[in-house]
This record gives sequence, structure tokens and C-alpha cells, in this order.
Amino acid sequence: MKTTLNRMRNIGISAHIDSGKTTLTERILYYCKKIHRIHEVKSKEGGGATMDYMELEHERGITITSATTNVSWNNHSINIIDTPGHVDFTIEVERSLRVLDGAILVLCSVGGVQSQTLTVDKQLKRYRVPTIAFINKLDRTGANPFKVQQQINEKLARRAALLQIPIGLEDKFQGLVDLIKMKAYYFDGPNGEIIQEEEIPPQLEDDAWKYREELLDTISLFSDELTEAILEGRVSEALLLKAIRQGTISREFTPILMGSAYRNKGIQLLLEAVVNYLPDPSEVENKALDLDREEQPVVLKADSALPCVAYAFKLEEGPYGQLTHLRIYQGSLKKGDELFNTRSRQKFKVGRVVRMHADHMEDIEGAEAGDIVALFGVDCASGDTICSPELNYALTSIYVPEPVISLAIEPADKLSADRLAKALARFTKEDPTFRMYLDPESRQTIIQGMGELHLDVYVERMRREYQVEVLTGPPQVAYRETITTRADFDYTHKKQTGGAGQFARVIGYIEPFEGSYEFVNQVKGGHIPREFIPSCDKGFQARLKKGVLIGSPVIGVRVVLTDGQFHPVDSSDIAFQAAAQGAFKEAYQKTKPKILEPIMRVVVETPSEFSGQVFSSLNQRRGIIISSIEDGTSSRIEAEVPLREMFGYSTVLRSMTQGRAEFTMEFLKYGQLPAFLAEQLLDQHRKKLEAEEKR
Amino acid sequence: MVRKILSARGPIKVLEKNITGGLGAGNLTVLASRKGVGKTACLVQIALDRLFEDKPVIHVSYASRVDYIISWYEEIFKKLVGKENLSAEMIVHDQIIRNRVIMNFRQEGMKTSQVLKSIEALIGPGNFQAKTIIVDGFNFYLPGFEDLSLFKQFAADNQLEIWFSCSLKGEEPLFDDQGLPKVLESYLGSIDVIITLEPDDSRVRLTLVKDHDQVLSKKLRLELDPQTLLLSPV
Repeated sequence: MKTTLNRMRNIGISAHIDSGKTTLTERILYYCKKIHRIHEVKSKEGGGATMDYMELEHERGITITSATTNVSWNNHSINIIDTPGHVDFTIEVERSLRVLDGAILVLCSVGGVQSQTLTVDKQLKRYRVPTIAFINKLDRTGANPFKVQQQINEKLARRAALLQIPIGLEDKFQGLVDLIKMKAYYFDGPNGEIIQEEEIPPQLEDDAWKYREELLDTISLFSDELTEAILEGRVSEALLLKAIRQGTISREFTPILMGSAYRNKGIQLLLEAVVNYLPDPSEVENKALDLDREEQPVVLKADSALPCVAYAFKLEEGPYGQLTHLRIYQGSLKKGDELFNTRSRQKFKVGRVVRMHADHMEDIEGAEAGDIVALFGVDCASGDTICSPELNYALTSIYVPEPVISLAIEPADKLSADRLAKALARFTKEDPTFRMYLDPESRQTIIQGMGELHLDVYVERMRREYQVEVLTGPPQVAYRETITTRADFDYTHKKQTGGAGQFARVIGYIEPFEGSYEFVNQVKGGHIPREFIPSCDKGFQARLKKGVLIGSPVIGVRVVLTDGQFHPVDSSDIAFQAAAQGAFKEAYQKTKPKILEPIMRVVVETPSEFSGQVFSSLNQRRGIIISSIEDGTSSRIEAEVPLREMFGYSTVLRSMTQGRAEFTMEFLKYGQLPAFLAEQLLDQHRKKLEAEEKR
Repeated sequence: MVRKILSARGPIKVLEKNITGGLGAGNLTVLASRKGVGKTACLVQIALDRLFEDKPVIHVSYASRVDYIISWYEEIFKKLVGKENLSAEMIVHDQIIRNRVIMNFRQEGMKTSQVLKSIEALIGPGNFQAKTIIVDGFNFYLPGFEDLSLFKQFAADNQLEIWFSCSLKGEEPLFDDQGLPKVLESYLGSIDVIITLEPDDSRVRLTLVKDHDQVLSKKLRLELDPQTLLLSPV
């Protein structure tokens, strides 16, 4: 089916964990006739929801990787990216957001805006994604969509209004009143597939008019056209739709819909809203950087006649080889086309092009601008830009956070070492926040990631998908070292042992710096020839990788090179690198170096009656409580806590609050490690070095 | 740096010296004025004074968002210490953050007993040992005599000093013939000290109108610069 641009939607479903996102996606697939039976996420029959194709996800009841799937609704082609909800996997969310034109923000009608919702909302705002809010679980005890609406307005600072109100709530939830059409809708049949349009029940009429009034008021804040129409008393359905669409796309307005995915109510109306209010690919401006013209921004046009520009946002290793998910921003691609990866500088021919469904794929000839498809057998990493060979563009790279936690792993038996290497190669390619390296000293494989759960999931996946049993060490915090005072250096590297000699001298100082590293060259009069300046820089940087205190990377250093000396014959790149390394080592000791530890921003969401326990649990963990916001029943406590104190906190918090509190954390900054802990680390490091020497 | 901070503390010392019954533990003080005169600026300076001494402070707010309050502190702090000695400033700044907790109670008409319960949970044994509590945005126009007496009792029981701001609104006259804000009449039993802020030419003058058992109208030798929002002795 050829789809014209205005009938195409690329949407994501973003939500707090457990807000019913996967169930919702499942219903959407069902109503779009992509699947013929509804499975439940935690079903006993073992089916599992269609989007969660990984066994592991079924077990934990969460969605880890974003599967893309294509559905059609009312002659519109909708690509849905199912995004994970947990903060540890935010890179997945962020990568999906990059390629979306719109999103459904799912909220729970009982829990409302929770700390995770705030994180997801921030991401949606960062990538300027037009959003529709969907308040799910209206059938739950304690459901209150009006309260959630208020939270969307206040906590998320969105200008939002209800497009629907519920008919009954909790176990009496029956259907919805549409405030645009002013009709009531009921969802009948075993799976809610039969929609009945009826008059608004008389007892709800006053409310319906009241909330419609509110809706009109909100929209008239940004739509002059509608304001005029209201004054002249000629508000039509078409005009309202247009105003809401404009407001949603310009992100001045967030329409709120509601329902219960589990009870099969409200989903079709949500799909209608996706088609009505979320933008098509041509309505969103996307920019690329022209690498041939000093990264000047270029606006991409969703025009299939232009040269192709696409973005590889996700890789998957399947039984048939590597699958690359692409979003096409400009031009088109088809089988046999030649394309160019602007990062690896490699050209390749397009082989199979497929459209992804949750559990199967459909071969297609090609695809055009705006679409999301997958290619087979392309060698690239996620985040790469794929262009027609005549272009040399890069789509702005997305923000990738530094890993904060590491874990030593080793295969339980020698035979599976190969499979482990394979698994690691694939995971690191798929997820830029997941990294690995070999520690040359301990000869251990170290994996790094964004949190305990993040690494847990990968260890689990190694077990399941690659049949590798791995033994893991205790999680290690990624410490840093830094300098606290300025120190001068004057270092000469000299070697005269047969063959060509080596000579280089560097003079200057190092001092504390707010960023990570800066190199300043103030050498005058050619005392160090220009071609050797980068060698000095390189030498310093090599030293920064490993501080002398505990062997952690050094940050917060500015190196200022003021003078030096060279020898016309004996000076070389290597000599200056060695001199810089020696100089740094010499100066570093004099700067009173300190150990830094990652400090996390922790947000705990708890029923107010437990806030006392939460306060003391954070205090015990060397946490600094920044604020506590209480809204009557629940408290949101924000604190800064060192990562090393946070291990196992989820268990502690759960048992302390009868499982009713939850928390999120993200890296905030590096802070100085207290002296007594620094002493311990120094001691450990010393022992480690001694042990190695003996060996 | 240290001298700067000491000089920054000058105005608060003037305030303390002028109040005969004392301001410290167990006392409840109210700063009253119309909106936008500078109550929050004063409260933040009082809080910073305690924070400079490494004494923990809880800032309770009924209205403003947390980030808004934090920026108040940041701004006043910057104005007080300037930017001369970066590393010393950083140490003091860290000390401030470590010693300050902002509590935001969002709901209109949040029960005082619950607010106090939350504060109690925070200052509980081994936790955050605050001795000063700043309460901004308490609505004195709602019937709440009992609420304030609960605060007063709480201050006495826990040996805390509590500072309130009171936004005066409505038509003139706002004050009775003794110079006391009319809205505070029913609360007087729980309030130890009342200070009013009044714009006077290009300055804001602070006047002590209630000092424990005395009702008076004593112009304090203290004013607020509406430009910098800093307090300074006259």
C-alpha cells in the first residue's frame, strides 16, 4: 500500500512503568487487525503480549527494547515504537523519541504523574515531540482522571484539557462522553470492538457542558480563530479539530483522552485522536548537519524525489542476521540502491527491506521519506546516519550519558567465552550506554551501564539468548580523580641507548578546571615545534585515563603548556608524548588529588505516612534532602545521594513502605568522596597493586 | 570571604538586638506586608544567616514551586557574597545545600497537623536537626487560629524558631489603631513578634509592632533595598 505523507504517523508510547503501556499497545494492534487474539502481559497461558517479544520481558512484566510495528487505522499507516518505561533504559526511550513525530503519554488514573512520568515528560520536551495524554486504568479503584488532569497541568506544566469525560468510574466505568461531538460512546462485544454512539446520559449533561467549556477556554488561549468563533457562536466540530491539531503540533496544547486498555474501552477513540491530532512527517522540521560544510544545519524535506537521508535508531540481532531499524527523513530507498554510512564512511547496497510487525516481518520493495523500516545485513551502529552517496550529512547525535556503574563478569566455563564475546559485541552495538572493556590488570571483563537493573538485564539476556552462564562480581562505582590545586611542571624526557635518541622537554602547569579536560597551548617562539603540540596533548590525555590514587580516570584538569625545548634530530612524536606523560605524573602528585564519586539525583515517590522512614533511609545513605513536595496523600522527596550507597535501595524501600513507594535516580554530578571512604579505596588499591607485583 | 559573610550577617544582628524578648528557640515571628514588598527576601536572608552558621533550616512553602524557592536562595546568596573567592564560596554554598530542606505543601487547605507531622518526620531522631523553620505562603485570611497555635506549640516542644510571612490584602486600613495588622488580631495569642514592612520613599522600612507582651511601633534601624532586595542597617 502506498501511503501519502499526510496519512502517515510515527508515534511512540511513553509511560511510567506499570501504567499499562504494553496492554494498550496490544489493544491497538488488535483493533487495527494486526493480531487476532488479545494476550495479557502477565498471562498464565504463556502467550504474553505481542510487543514484548523477549522472554525476559515477559517474566519481569516490563518492556526492555523498543520493538517497532506498523498498523493501519482508518486508511492511515501508523508506525508504533513501543518504548521501555524504566529509567535505566532511557537511552532506548531517547533513541525512539528522536525518530518520532508524536507520542502518546500514558498515565495511570490512580497514580497520576509519578517521578518516572516527569523523566519521560522531560525527554518528550527535549525532543520537542507533540504529545497526546492518555489516562489509563479508569476501571481501577481510586481512579480519578480529573485529578490526573490537574497534575498534568501543574506538575508537567502542560496546557492540557480533557477531550472526554468518563461515564462511571472504577468498577462502574462504562464508556466515555466525547466533548467535541457531545455524544456518549460505549464499547460492546467480547473485546470492545463494537462502538455504540448514543446521547449523553442526562445525569452527565451538566458536567459535559462544563468540561467542554473548559476545553474551549483552554484552546482559545492560543487559537485566535477559535476565539472568534466562540464569540460569534459558530464553533463547529471541524474548527475544533483543526484548532486542537494546530495546538498539539505546535506543542502549545496537550489533549487528554482516557479509557481502560485492560477493559477494552476508549482505544479506538485514542487511535482516532492519533490520526486527528498528531503530525504527519511533513509537519515536523528535521535538521541534519552537512559534514562537507563545517556541520552547517540543513533542513530535511520529506520529499521522496530528493536524495535519501535516514537514521539508524536501532539494531537487532535476529536469527537471520543483523536488522537495522531506519527512519527515513528525506528521499526514498529501495532494494538495490547504493547508500553511504557517513560515520564509518562505507558504502553498501540495500538488500532486503522489511516492514516490522511485533513478531513477524513483511518484505517490501522500498520505502519513502517519513517511514520507518528495517534493512537486513547492514553493518552499522545505532545512531549512524545513512545517506545517498552524494550527500555527507549527519543527523545531530543524540545525547548519550556516561555510565556510572560497572560490574566484573566472567563466563562460568571456558567453552562459553566465545558466545559471551558475541553477546557483548551485540549489546554494546545496540546500546551506547552499555559498555565493556578488558581490565588489563585483573584480566577481567568489565561491563558498564546506567544502573543496577540495566546491567542485571544484560546479564540475564546473556543467559537466555546466548546460553552463557556468567559469574558477576559486586557492582563497582565509577570513581573519578581530580586535582585541587595548581602545580607546575618542567620535565625532560631523554633517552640515549643506542639507535636514534629521544629528547623532549615540556614546561607549564596544571590547574583545576570545571569541565572534564582542557589543553591550552601558550608556547611561543617555536620552542616546541607546532607538529609536536598535539603529541603533548595526547600524552597528557593518556595519563588522564588512569589517576595514581586508585587508577580511576582523572577529570577537571586544565593543562597549560607554556614552554619547552626540542632537539632537531632526537625529538619525535613519541618523545613529546612521553615527556607529557612524565610531566603530568610529576605535577599530579603536587596537586593534592582527590577521589570523586558519582552523586545521583534520587526522587522517591511515597505515600505521606512513610515519608519519615524515607527521610531517615536517605540520611543513612549520606543523602542530602533537597526538597519534599506533599499534596495531601503522597510525597515526592528529592535528594542527592552517592551512588555507592544506593545499591539494593529498591528492596529496602519496598519493604519499608509495604511496596507502595518507588524511586528513580539519575546521574547528577561528581562529588568528593569522604576521607574515611577514600582511605578504604586507597588501601584496596594498594593491596591490589602489591598482589599484582607478587604475581 | 569570612569577613564578607560576617558583614552580610550585620542586619540580622540588628534585628535580634532590637527585640527585647528574643527571637530564638520557641519563638514564632511574623513578617507582614502587602504582596511584593520583600517578605520572602527577608525570610531567605534570615535563613541564610542560620545556614552560614552551619545550622540546618527547613523552608516550608505553601505556594511556590521548589525551583522558584531555590532560585531565591541562589540569588540572595550571590548578592551577599559576590564572586570573589570561588572555592571558598563553593564550600559555603555546599554547606547551604546540605543544611537546607525545602518542603512544599501543595494542596489548598492542607491540614496543619499533617504539615507538622511531616516536619516532625524530617527532624526525627538521627535525621535532619533543623532549629529554624521558615513558613512562606501561610494564608492568614482563612480561619486558622488553631493552626497557628499548633505551630506555636510545636516550636515550644521542639525548641525551634519559626518565621512566618503574612501577605496583607484587601482595602485600607490594613492596620488597627495600635499599628497591628488587622488580619493577625485573632492570632495574637500565638505570635511572639510581629514586624511589618512598609515602602517609604525608595526604601522599605521594617517596623517592630509586637515584641512579646509589648505592642509598640518601633522603627527598626533596618531597611530593605528594593533594588537588591538586601537588608541593610540604617
